[in-house]
Amino acid sequence: MKTPDTLADHAAARPDTRRRRPPRRDKLAPYLFVAPFLILFLVFGAYPLIKSVILAFYITSGPRDQVFVGLENFRFLLTDPDFWKAVRNTVVYTVWSLALQIPLGLGLAVLLNSRWVKGREFFRLAFFSPNLVGQVFVGVLFSVLFVPQYGLVNRFLHATVGAPLDTRWLSEPSLIMPALILTSLWMYAGMHMVYFLAGLQTVERELYEAAQLDGANSWGQFWHVTLPGIRHVLIFVVIISTIGSFQLFELPWVMLGRSPGPDAAGLTIVMYLYINGYVSGDLGYASAVGWTLALGLLAVSLLQLRLSGALRG
Amino acid sequence: MARFPYGASAAVMAGLAVASGAYLAARRAHKPRYDLRLWTFAKPHADAYLKMLPDFLRKHPGKSVDIQIVAGEAVTSRLQAAFWSNLDVPDLAEVEISWAGSFFRGRLESIGFRDLTERIHQTGLWERIVQARFAPYTTRGRIFGIPHDVHPVMLAYRRDLVEKLGIDVERLRTWDEFVEVGRRVTVPGKRFMMELPPEGLSALEVMLFQRGGGYFDAQGNCTLDNEIAIETMRYYAPLVAGKHRIGNDLGGGQIFTRALEDGYYLFMVAPDWRTKSIEQDVPKVAGRMALMPLPAFHPGGRRTSTWGGTMIGITKRCADPDLAWELIMHLYLNKEALAEQFRGTNILPPARDLWDHPAYDEPRPFWSNQPLGRLYANLAPETPPQYTSPYIGLAKAKLSEALIACVRYYDRYGARGFDGFVRQQMARAAAEVRRQMRRNPYLHENA
Repeated sequence: MKTPDTLADHAAARPDTRRRRPPRRDKLAPYLFVAPFLILFLVFGAYPLIKSVILAFYITSGPRDQVFVGLENFRFLLTDPDFWKAVRNTVVYTVWSLALQIPLGLGLAVLLNSRWVKGREFFRLAFFSPNLVGQVFVGVLFSVLFVPQYGLVNRFLHATVGAPLDTRWLSEPSLIMPALILTSLWMYAGMHMVYFLAGLQTVERELYEAAQLDGANSWGQFWHVTLPGIRHVLIFVVIISTIGSFQLFELPWVMLGRSPGPDAAGLTIVMYLYINGYVSGDLGYASAVGWTLALGLLAVSLLQLRLSGALRG
Repeated sequence: MARFPYGASAAVMAGLAVASGAYLAARRAHKPRYDLRLWTFAKPHADAYLKMLPDFLRKHPGKSVDIQIVAGEAVTSRLQAAFWSNLDVPDLAEVEISWAGSFFRGRLESIGFRDLTERIHQTGLWERIVQARFAPYTTRGRIFGIPHDVHPVMLAYRRDLVEKLGIDVERLRTWDEFVEVGRRVTVPGKRFMMELPPEGLSALEVMLFQRGGGYFDAQGNCTLDNEIAIETMRYYAPLVAGKHRIGNDLGGGQIFTRALEDGYYLFMVAPDWRTKSIEQDVPKVAGRMALMPLPAFHPGGRRTSTWGGTMIGITKRCADPDLAWELIMHLYLNKEALAEQFRGTNILPPARDLWDHPAYDEPRPFWSNQPLGRLYANLAPETPPQYTSPYIGLAKAKLSEALIACVRYYDRYGARGFDGFVRQQMARAAAEVRRQMRRNPYLHENA
């Protein structure tokens, strides 16, 4: 093959982009390849999103009966005590879930990352396995465990601390939220553990050796090496846990017998949306709830990112 | 293949897409065609209908009927979705009483069921059926469903334990007499006079209906703050709160079974359908159970109430509403078949002229040889109406909140200031329901 020797040869070898346009089929090709995704996204993603924005300004009874009400749905939402009860319940659940699940998940991860623990793989699987069965199964299981008089939870508490056998975990309003938080702790601590385990394995061993040389004890190593080393995982877990907690629905819905429970003590924002949209049939109001939740979640996530310094990279 | 413009992979992908698309387009889904399709959520109903179907088909040669069981909650959500999308709508559907109102939210012409008012009056069904039972399936004066049942309520009790405690049920004619005995025999944590939920509504509703009250009146107005509702709450809360409570509730299913076996409750509310559940779930107490009418709120007052129910409706999508109507008449008013169904379900049919069948007089060994059918049939004409609304779910939620608030108050402060507190809570509950109802632009249109 002949190689160009002079500038003139180089110029001659370079393709003339000014005059030669790519053929029409080359232009169309990328669009054809993304078309299947695009069509599906437009039909099942973009259209429902746009439609739900429009619906949020209507009172509806099913898709055919609609009356335009402007911002009335949002005004009603903000003055509805049930909505605020749902917000309060969801926030309480989220705060307690984060406060318990993340330290427990992290603790389990640190423990099961240690070389001296025998059968680590088994315990990792055991702690993660509640995630494999899903919220509905867990809901059914725990609704049996929490039964008064004959349930395992009450039997255990009665035998250990003398608690009354007829404690009604799922029908006494003040006990419903603790029951939900305990259930989700069992379910999600193992999942967080897996994320943290992945993070822990990226922390370099040399950093621990250096810290040991500097005289750091176990706590010091954890505080100054481990935590900064898994900071990005921690932020990720906090954000997905927050989003997941705000979307809580199936667990209380199943555990409380397809209802928000007595005194609406298990009413969450998504349950409130479901009841209004699919039980009462007001899809417009449900859309308003959905968009309010989406905006609220966006604000909370941005706040978390800002507070954690993740936005600064 | 080398001549395909974007290479072999793209050619294979395009080929697969075209082939699979062509297959799907050419393939016709094999769906058997029936003249009528009926959805029900209750297996005992479906079993009974399947037995009655051959006779119907003999009378209608060339016709076919498909009976499908759809899970309780799914029948409502699927049916609602089917009405909205106008796809996969059955010709007839049975709907549970507490969900019926959710179909009546929009304009009358948008309701997915056919208006049966004229047919009901023209065929004399209005006179044959206990009229109170049409109330839950009526909106704005129009009837959209035929009741499947009456569901009068009695008290079931552990006859052996009650006799051992020296209680004479003949003397429990009023609730005051019942409560007085209950305070004597209740041992908190071990034995309660009656299954009465401190947070749930089942027994409170029974008392509310018994007194002639309810969530709504015949015009669909919320009545949670009328004197009957206030008085009922004032009476009920002290039964499940405070030192002198006589009732408690542990839950349903296996827990109820254990509690009844252990004698944790002596009495419990028992509509006809629940007697069958008790027979099936608690066989150990066979022959040791009995039934009595509810105590009245005042001497000579109503001795029954109602709990639960089912309607059947013909959908607007049904192509042959006359055939659908004939099917309903066959399934809901066939004397012999319903008597046989009663033996299997204990459910009293809604038409009065069916109750003279000997099946309703048969003694039942499980119930200490009482003639279960006759006991319920004697009370059925007194069954109170329970009016409905699309906002029945909300009204129940608000009554539940009021109940819990009242129970807590009574637990903490007893009778001091209780009357005023009850009135305030019930007013708050009613105001919240009305606030939501005002948003519905269709609810007050005239029929």
